[in-house]
Amino acid sequence: MIPAPFEYHAPKSLEEALRLLDRHGDEAKLLAGGHSLLPMMKLRLAAPRFVIDLGRLKGLDYIREEQGMIAIGAMTTHAEIENSSLLRAKCPLLSETAAAIGDVQVRNRGTLGGSLAHADPAADYPASILALEAQMTMNSSMGVRAVDAAEFFLDMLTTQLRPGEILTEIRVPALGKGTGAAYCKLSQPASGYAVVGVAARVTLAAGKLAQIAVGVTGVGPKAYRAVNVEDALRGKKASEKLLAEAARHAARGVEALADLHASAGYRSEMAAVFTRRALERAVARAAGTKA
Amino acid sequence: MKVQGQILLAAARGQVWDLLTDPAKLAKCLPGCEKLEAAGPDRYKVSVKFALAAISGSYSGAVELSEKKQPESLRIMLEGKGTPGFMKGEGRIRLTEKQGQTELRYEGEAQVGGMIAAVGQRMIDVAARRIIQQFFDAAAAQLRSSVPGA
Amino acid sequence: MATATKYIGKPLKRKEDPRLIHGLAHYVDDLVLAGMLHAGFVRSPHAHALIKFVDTSKAQSAPGVVAVLTAEDVRGQIGAVPCAAVLPDMKAAPRPVLATGRVRFVGEAVAVVIASDRYALRDALDLVDVDYESLTPVVDPEKAISKGAPVLHEPSPDNVAYRWELEGGDIKKAFKQADKVIRQRILNQRLVPVAMEPRGVLAEYKPGEKTLTVWSSTQIPHLLKTQLAAMLGAPEHSVRVITPEVGGGFGSKLNVYPEEAVIAHLAMRLGRPVKWVETRRENFLCTIHGRDQIGDVEAAVTKDGVLLGVKWRIVADLGAYYQLLTPLIPTLTGLMLAGCYKVPAIRIEIIGALTNKMSTDAYRGAGRPEATYYIERLMDLIAAELKKDPAEIRRKNFPQPKDFPYATPTGVTYDSANYQKSLDLALQKSGYAKLRKEQAKLRKQGRYLGIGLSTYVEICAMGPSSAMPAGGWESATVRVEPTGKVTILTGASPHGQGQETSFAQMGAEILGLTPDDVHVVHGDTAAVPYGIGTFGSRGTAVGGTAAYKSLIKLRDKLAQIAGHLMGEDPQKLVFGDGRIWSKSAGNKSIGLIEAIGAAYVAKTLPPGMEPGLDATTFFEPSNFTFPFGAHVCVVEIDAETGDVRLLKYVAVDDCGNVLNPLLVEGQVHGGIVQAVGQAMFEEAVYDEHGQLITGELMDYALPRAGALPWMETHRTVTPSPVNPLGVKGVGEAGTIGATPAIINAVVDALAPFGVRHVDMPAKRERIWKLMHEAPPRRAPRAPAKAAARRQAGRRAK
Repeated sequence: MIPAPFEYHAPKSLEEALRLLDRHGDEAKLLAGGHSLLPMMKLRLAAPRFVIDLGRLKGLDYIREEQGMIAIGAMTTHAEIENSSLLRAKCPLLSETAAAIGDVQVRNRGTLGGSLAHADPAADYPASILALEAQMTMNSSMGVRAVDAAEFFLDMLTTQLRPGEILTEIRVPALGKGTGAAYCKLSQPASGYAVVGVAARVTLAAGKLAQIAVGVTGVGPKAYRAVNVEDALRGKKASEKLLAEAARHAARGVEALADLHASAGYRSEMAAVFTRRALERAVARAAGTKA
Repeated sequence: MKVQGQILLAAARGQVWDLLTDPAKLAKCLPGCEKLEAAGPDRYKVSVKFALAAISGSYSGAVELSEKKQPESLRIMLEGKGTPGFMKGEGRIRLTEKQGQTELRYEGEAQVGGMIAAVGQRMIDVAARRIIQQFFDAAAAQLRSSVPGA
Repeated sequence: MATATKYIGKPLKRKEDPRLIHGLAHYVDDLVLAGMLHAGFVRSPHAHALIKFVDTSKAQSAPGVVAVLTAEDVRGQIGAVPCAAVLPDMKAAPRPVLATGRVRFVGEAVAVVIASDRYALRDALDLVDVDYESLTPVVDPEKAISKGAPVLHEPSPDNVAYRWELEGGDIKKAFKQADKVIRQRILNQRLVPVAMEPRGVLAEYKPGEKTLTVWSSTQIPHLLKTQLAAMLGAPEHSVRVITPEVGGGFGSKLNVYPEEAVIAHLAMRLGRPVKWVETRRENFLCTIHGRDQIGDVEAAVTKDGVLLGVKWRIVADLGAYYQLLTPLIPTLTGLMLAGCYKVPAIRIEIIGALTNKMSTDAYRGAGRPEATYYIERLMDLIAAELKKDPAEIRRKNFPQPKDFPYATPTGVTYDSANYQKSLDLALQKSGYAKLRKEQAKLRKQGRYLGIGLSTYVEICAMGPSSAMPAGGWESATVRVEPTGKVTILTGASPHGQGQETSFAQMGAEILGLTPDDVHVVHGDTAAVPYGIGTFGSRGTAVGGTAAYKSLIKLRDKLAQIAGHLMGEDPQKLVFGDGRIWSKSAGNKSIGLIEAIGAAYVAKTLPPGMEPGLDATTFFEPSNFTFPFGAHVCVVEIDAETGDVRLLKYVAVDDCGNVLNPLLVEGQVHGGIVQAVGQAMFEEAVYDEHGQLITGELMDYALPRAGALPWMETHRTVTPSPVNPLGVKGVGEAGTIGATPAIINAVVDALAPFGVRHVDMPAKRERIWKLMHEAPPRRAPRAPAKAAARRQAGRRAK
């Protein structure tokens, strides 16, 4: 369990990190919490020549409210997100998702930005990030750009991030009254990753589903918005039957993954089950009937 | 692991055949191909580097073409070994004319051994599909640039 | 042992724990010797291939590399991996320590690299270039033994390692008389033991003294010493094996591995200490696996559910080579296939199949969990077929307490038991009758509760020698030191069982001291007398008895001395509070230390008595012991996902007398958890090319605390007559009893879907499919009675 030789850098500032990234190009990998990169390096499945450790970098771990949004620094750990009183009050979906990741040790080290940038098809956050319609901010030496979560995930382990870019901030909305959200997950028994993970966010207006966003992880090569589910619900009055019927569309048109723990068919079926469960819980929370 | 699929290529069957059997052109299709040189009739020594995000593996081995039935079908075998273990792929490619274009159908078996097989089972299928996709995308791009007349 | 005790039978906390909890224990990997080199193995990524060429030149010249050796370089210098099991017509080529010409499983060592540090070593391992010509692997054991399969070993052209057959009673008559014949295929999937500490070896050779010292994470230091001497051609008296702290074994370290011999050889060859520590990946690939059997049963029963006869055919996947006990393990299954029932007639055929996988060998329970699982599934199949309560079917077939010792048709004799009593207690403590009512109620609501029973008997305390490949006894030397402290040197080799505590309790009790006055030494062949080791739940029943007998010898000697000093009858002296008391004359006593002093100073000894206070016993029991028990498991299945949740677990175990109930409970808890592993999560999966695709903990699912219910443990006590302590052993009972209880609960929950058997592990998708593809598709809220009727109708077809 010893990685191939590499050169280690621990930049103190974002500028320095970006300079290093520019200099070393695709021979460099960014190290955040290290929970995906380090095991791959130790197994020598990944052998970057340069490792740029963002752990010493100041100013990328924060959770703060800005103009009705909550801005989260990319180096914020899962544990900080799980326990943040600001998030628990204004965007509990993210805290609920963080609490579902791995175990205490993983949550103490792993970071939001690291997980999203790695884009593991079974990671938990992507579902919630999609359901929250988060904004992803990426810095490079050329400047700053932001994309919507829906555009961020491109394929298995592949995101919008271009060479030379660092994901620096994730902005999620503060959820107002009448909005409820929930993350429901079927865990892989060995790794704890999501076999299926569904995040649902609904806003009720006059008893109807005014706004709805459903993010699904674990099912396909990348996390996605279950637009078919959303379309089947939008503007309608929430009922047990409607939610169940809409949830049937959760994996429609998706190239479902298959592995030892779940066949493609079972994954698709579970996508429907967990979509319904997440929707039911989100609707109940929006209506204030359940915590 | 079984792999199969089809792709419609905007080129005449002869051109597609030529692309698959010309080592220089074949090398350009093979994702991460760093070297492909003749090592006997229809046999080539290759070095390839397959990469998916941070995960990468360098393999050196051979490509072999056999059962050639110009211009309809052939068998391609690719095998290599490297630090993550070994990989082996073998399959038949059939070419049919479809209104001036060529439909390529492939069907075969891929096998990986060593570290990737042990730790990568949940991603291997998708990774294999992506690599095959890259191969045919590169093939299509080459054919586009060579059509017409080149 | 019926008198009131001060320490024996009391729940003392483990003396071992503080050092483990504080990180102060020393494992092989913690040991550092001056000038130590590090070794690593180049392993085959192929399941079956010819080795065409090994190019070590690049690795040889890499920085820090001291040597790179292949089979060629050690030819004739290291013997093959030993197999202690001897069965008639056993056929397979012995395993060379480094693959010679051909590899037969993924992970087989092809070359060894030795370097000055671990980093240089790891880099150099990648530089050894091995050219393989792949051969078709044989992965499925049934295909392996069918015609035309590729051959692993020339001596066995059909890949059959052996056939083991046993017949008892009149099986033809049994089937002729049967009202019903019940048939089922029952699988015991392959498991990876996953001891928390992987294996590790450190060896040092001192050329001046000509001594070889080997530190190894093993369960059998003495047997390893003897085998290493034989493999290396070294005189045994110059070989010393030490087991530092051993972080679990579960049987996986009850073996002699190629790495142990190669590392020892290297230390001698290079004249420097050499260390190898297994990675987790290597632990998955090249430390023995457990279970892996395919069982086919045919049972002849009367309409009342009385067993008349059973036929078993078992194909055991042995893997590519014999390790120490590989061929023996399935035969232990055979011996226990009658379970705790009266089986008038039995026919058993066991076929050992050779495949391109890692060897199977002893894993917690070693053959008995397989047997118990088969027979306990069978009892539930009979109950379901006859629509009777599974408890009733079991009761009907138990031998009575007066029947003991009880001889089974498989040729073993159970020592003592009361199966009715343990079952009754388990039913009572679990509220069985109430649970059945609850189940019926919930079924009407579309909720699927399952209640599973298992009544087991197992075979423990491995001995006597006539039934063991390498001796069935154990040794102990007890030494009372001049300052009054006591050292117990045991030939057993505890590695988590807690005998440093329980033996100290015995010492304190017998000599009237405190457990802190007694220190237990084990696992150093230069310090302790020759022993067999710790496995097969024998540590206390055999090793503990040896210690007990030595303690009694010393107590008697001390009594003689004290009697002489006090002018009292030694028979009338008692030991307590550090003193020796006269029962006859009021409060007359002398300090224990005075008697001890007399033994060492040797001026006031009784005439003719030898000085010193050392006693050694080699104890061999007259029979195995047969612990038993009854377990009840309650599960609920989520119909939407197939997820099985354990709601309740009640275990009643009878392991005879108990030295320390806390240790017993710990063993039972741990055993149940390992059974939860097999029943619900664990599965070593090789793909069709022989690649182990559950090759690490991201895919090989171990049971976690969150999956476990509160475990309620109870005991009945039926002392064993085969040792003076009356103990039976409890190291494996939980694993043996719990696996069928859990699966029986799962199958019971699925009864409304017409399910009669579920293969392990009870993975969600497997259960979900059974619930959703059960023909005809049933409405989820149908009442239980209707479901039962439908079920009966389906069976009749």
